[in-house]
Amino acid sequence: MASRRRMLLKVIILGDSGVGKTSLMNQYVNRKFSNQYKATIGADFLTKEVQFEDRLFTLQIWDTAGQERFQSLGVAFYRGADCCVLVHDVNVMKSFDSLNNWREEFLIQASPADPENFPFVVLGNKVDVDGGNSRVVSEKKAKAWCASKGNIPYFETSAKEGLNVEAAFECIARNALKNEPEEEIYLPDTIDVANARQQKSSGCEC
Amino acid sequence: MLLSDAMEDEEKWLAEGIAGIQHNAFYMHRALDANNLREALKYSAQLLSELRTSRLSPHKYYELYMRAFDELRKLEMFFKEEERHGCSVMDLYELVQHAGNILPRLYLLCTVGSVYIKSKEAPAKDVLKDLVEMCRAVQHPIRGLFLRSYLAQISRDKLPDIGSDYEGDGDTVMDAVEFVLQNFSEMNKLWVRMELQCLYYIHFGDPELRPSFGLSGLQGPARVRDKMEKERNELRDLVGKNLHVLSQIEGIDLDLYKETVLPRVLEQVVNCKDELAQYYLMDCLIQVFPDEYHLQTLETLLGACPQLQPTVDIKTVLSQLMERLSSYAASSPEVLPEFLQVEAFAKLSNAIGKVIETQGDMPIVGSITLYVSLLTFTLRVHPDRLDYVDQVLGLCVKKLANKPKLEDSRATKQVVALLSAPLEKYSDIVTSLTLSNYPRVMDHLDNGTNKIMAMVIIQSIMMNHAYVSSADKVEVLFELIKGLIKDLEGDSDDEFDEEDFNEEQNSVSRVIHVLYNDDPEEMLKIICTVRKHIMAGGPRRLPFTIPPLVFSALKLIRRLQNQDGDAAGEDNPATPRKIFQLLNQMIKCSSLGLEGWAETIEALSYVPSPELALRLYLQCAEAANDCDLEPVAYEFFTQAFVLYEEEIADSKAQVTAIHLIIGTLQRTNVFGVENRDTLTHKATGYSAKLLKKPDQCRAVYACSHLFWVDDQDGIKDGERVLLCLKRALRIANAAQQMASVARGSSGPVTLFVEILNKYLYYFEKGNPQITSAAIQGLIELIKTEMQSDTVTPDQTSDAFFACTLRYIQFQKQKGGAMGEKFDTIKV
Ligand SMILES: Nc1nc2c(ncn2[C@@H]2O[C@H](COP(=O)(O)OP(=O)(O)OP(=O)(O)O)[C@@H](O)[C@H]2O)c(=O)[nH]1
Ligand SMILES: [Mg+2]
Repeated sequence: MASRRRMLLKVIILGDSGVGKTSLMNQYVNRKFSNQYKATIGADFLTKEVQFEDRLFTLQIWDTAGQERFQSLGVAFYRGADCCVLVHDVNVMKSFDSLNNWREEFLIQASPADPENFPFVVLGNKVDVDGGNSRVVSEKKAKAWCASKGNIPYFETSAKEGLNVEAAFECIARNALKNEPEEEIYLPDTIDVANARQQKSSGCEC
Repeated sequence: MLLSDAMEDEEKWLAEGIAGIQHNAFYMHRALDANNLREALKYSAQLLSELRTSRLSPHKYYELYMRAFDELRKLEMFFKEEERHGCSVMDLYELVQHAGNILPRLYLLCTVGSVYIKSKEAPAKDVLKDLVEMCRAVQHPIRGLFLRSYLAQISRDKLPDIGSDYEGDGDTVMDAVEFVLQNFSEMNKLWVRMELQCLYYIHFGDPELRPSFGLSGLQGPARVRDKMEKERNELRDLVGKNLHVLSQIEGIDLDLYKETVLPRVLEQVVNCKDELAQYYLMDCLIQVFPDEYHLQTLETLLGACPQLQPTVDIKTVLSQLMERLSSYAASSPEVLPEFLQVEAFAKLSNAIGKVIETQGDMPIVGSITLYVSLLTFTLRVHPDRLDYVDQVLGLCVKKLANKPKLEDSRATKQVVALLSAPLEKYSDIVTSLTLSNYPRVMDHLDNGTNKIMAMVIIQSIMMNHAYVSSADKVEVLFELIKGLIKDLEGDSDDEFDEEDFNEEQNSVSRVIHVLYNDDPEEMLKIICTVRKHIMAGGPRRLPFTIPPLVFSALKLIRRLQNQDGDAAGEDNPATPRKIFQLLNQMIKCSSLGLEGWAETIEALSYVPSPELALRLYLQCAEAANDCDLEPVAYEFFTQAFVLYEEEIADSKAQVTAIHLIIGTLQRTNVFGVENRDTLTHKATGYSAKLLKKPDQCRAVYACSHLFWVDDQDGIKDGERVLLCLKRALRIANAAQQMASVARGSSGPVTLFVEILNKYLYYFEKGNPQITSAAIQGLIELIKTEMQSDTVTPDQTSDAFFACTLRYIQFQKQKGGAMGEKFDTIKV
């Protein structure tokens, strides 16, 4: 019964604008990268089939707008997430400082049953830029933060060069899979409720 | 009350909706597990019926929608399997059309449609066209917008894009573009229509048109409108997301964007005539498409701006565009030629002009904000084009022309931002000084802001350790900071704040020190320019500004002196002429400069800073001495004495002043006998006239040094030295007697010991008038004094005397010439 639900793994990518969320998703799903910046509006997802131990899963990857003004409808789509990916740009300190906020905001809004153990993965993106010379967030610093938040797995990625992207998403998928889904136990009391409710609906025919 | 009730109601309705979805989802899952397609469709349709509600605000509706959305993913997976199980997707597509209500039917249709396209049993473009047309059936704004955003989402990865699975067989990027554009315009229409429906609701009370959440009939039209605005705002991303989808279509190359996408989107934006939509969609357009596209289509994009509703906040839109473009320019130097090729600056500048013109009632702060953005853009993209920078400032001047000084504090802030930007960019202040419009913009600031800006300028100079090195630049600079240099028209005394004032004037004096040129001629010009400006500063400012300028001039004089010395050592035949020239200049500078200075410092004596003026006179006198300019030096001393006589009244200040005069005079060697006599005579005269005896005594014995300069050819007039010392002794005696009369006991012997030390000094230096007998006599005198009953014992003077005797002892034992000399003195 649970099997159908388990075949779908929902992943949310969060992080400041411009850190490369969309680029990471496109690199992973389509193996494409563009240097152009195109802001994301609202929430958007792509799916990708993944295989683990001869079971097929559909990874539903939600890419979100880092610019707050393009997130007008709220974050109802967080609900039911199996894993949350926090992305920062290793060349921009502020984007790393924001991770805490993104994480907390996610836990509040998605309110998972067991927030302590909810799977996150952190990606330090754009490690390719300027041969690493413009880097300001060290691996050590990022790892220390991850360790302090319950050993969040950490990957250094480059969406541009495809570096570590596959490995990161495999980890993301595996962690999503480990997450116990909180299937809301629903037991109908009477069979007829549904039909009775049908009539209540408002007059319009659409 | 009403509002919280309404919110509670809404929570209740949402809960009900969720319950409805859960209930039907339960049965749908059962049907799916049982492979019962018909049941699954039935329950999914019932589940989707919950989305027919009109009672929820967009936020809450979104929650409900996401629940349904998640369930539809399960159904979709089942459909994919179903296809494998035998029921063709085409049959499915037919089958779902029998669902009862339109809304559930269309959700199901879209869901199957996505599987249909994936199966490639029908051309993607046909299915998409079919779906986008059928969705027209839902005209309720919120329901319609969510349905269409569902369509946009599930079709997102199935568009016939280049390189996608769904390209080919006559399906082209163009079909994808058409599909998204159509969905976009339909959604925009629904979104814009909310506004109209709201008006209908207000006027006719049709509940179907009611803005969704919990409004009771009791609420007034203004409230209804506010809510509607809020709801529309929440919904905006659903519309904007179509533009995001468009931007992700790889096949949209520059040509396609230029020829089709941009014109079509702009057409929709301009024609909808809706303020919110226009502002938001312009913003989206700028953010979702890449910078090089904007650059290559600037004219079209900017051309749309004046066509927007007059209430649209175009300045923010344009600012954001310029912000993006400047980041793009900063990203890599290779893209700069693109900016030049498309004449980005001219186009932006033009567009801004048009916008300001068409939006006639845009407040002044709006226009200036636009100029700030344009300037930021210019400084980042064309830092080498000072003419552009000046042009932008010029635009601002034009805008401010014929208007009274700015009063709007927000506008003032923007002007300060405008003026600060070049200072930040060009760390070399001089660059900003060449901007002809810079001072003209400053003229429009109120006095207070003018001062703030002047301080910003000075701080920028100090921070960058920049030198301002020509008289012309100094002229410009002082024109810019004139708010600090003199009282401006309209400056009122009420607002005078001493602390601020002092800080400002200290800044000005700091800046005077960084006005520098190696070339003495130019340096002199600089000094004259500064002088001209600061002399207008009035009595409160001069004590701050004169000293640094005097020292700057003295520095120049010393420099000339040194150069002279250096050059003289060289045998280069070209040098003598050069030296001659320099000397000539030096003399000109010193005479003209210094004499001019006397007048300048004189200004100081009108203000309550005579002590400061006196010090400066003495500094100048010393410099004149070093330059061998006797009359000049004499003049300065005379000035100093005049000040002393007329202005320095406090007795303590007099003591300090007379010692300064004596010290300076002692170091001065330029004077002939006559001048010297006059001056030393005055000095000793004033010394003997100080208020207190001990002060007189000390000043007089100090004067002895005026007659004995321990240099090779220094003056050595032993007799007059002795006269001074004797006079000092007499005064010391008198002081003792006065003390006994007054207090019944005489003061300590300190003065005598001090005089004894002077005797010893001249004795050692070989002054023939100072004999060992005289010294012996003085020692005896002190001893007697000390033993007399009337003397107050004083440890310090006792110790001083003991030390002096020990010194004599030491000299005696030294042997040699010195020992012999001291031999006759008995201690
Ligand atoms: N050099 C380099 N550039 C990258 C990398 N990842 C992304 N970028 C660039 O960074 C910019 C922003 O990337 P996006 O993926 O659009 O960023 P985002 O996080 O989705 O931004 P929002 O949608 O605004 O939240 C684009 O110009 C990308 O080309 C990377 O790994 N290396
Ligand atoms: Mg993005």
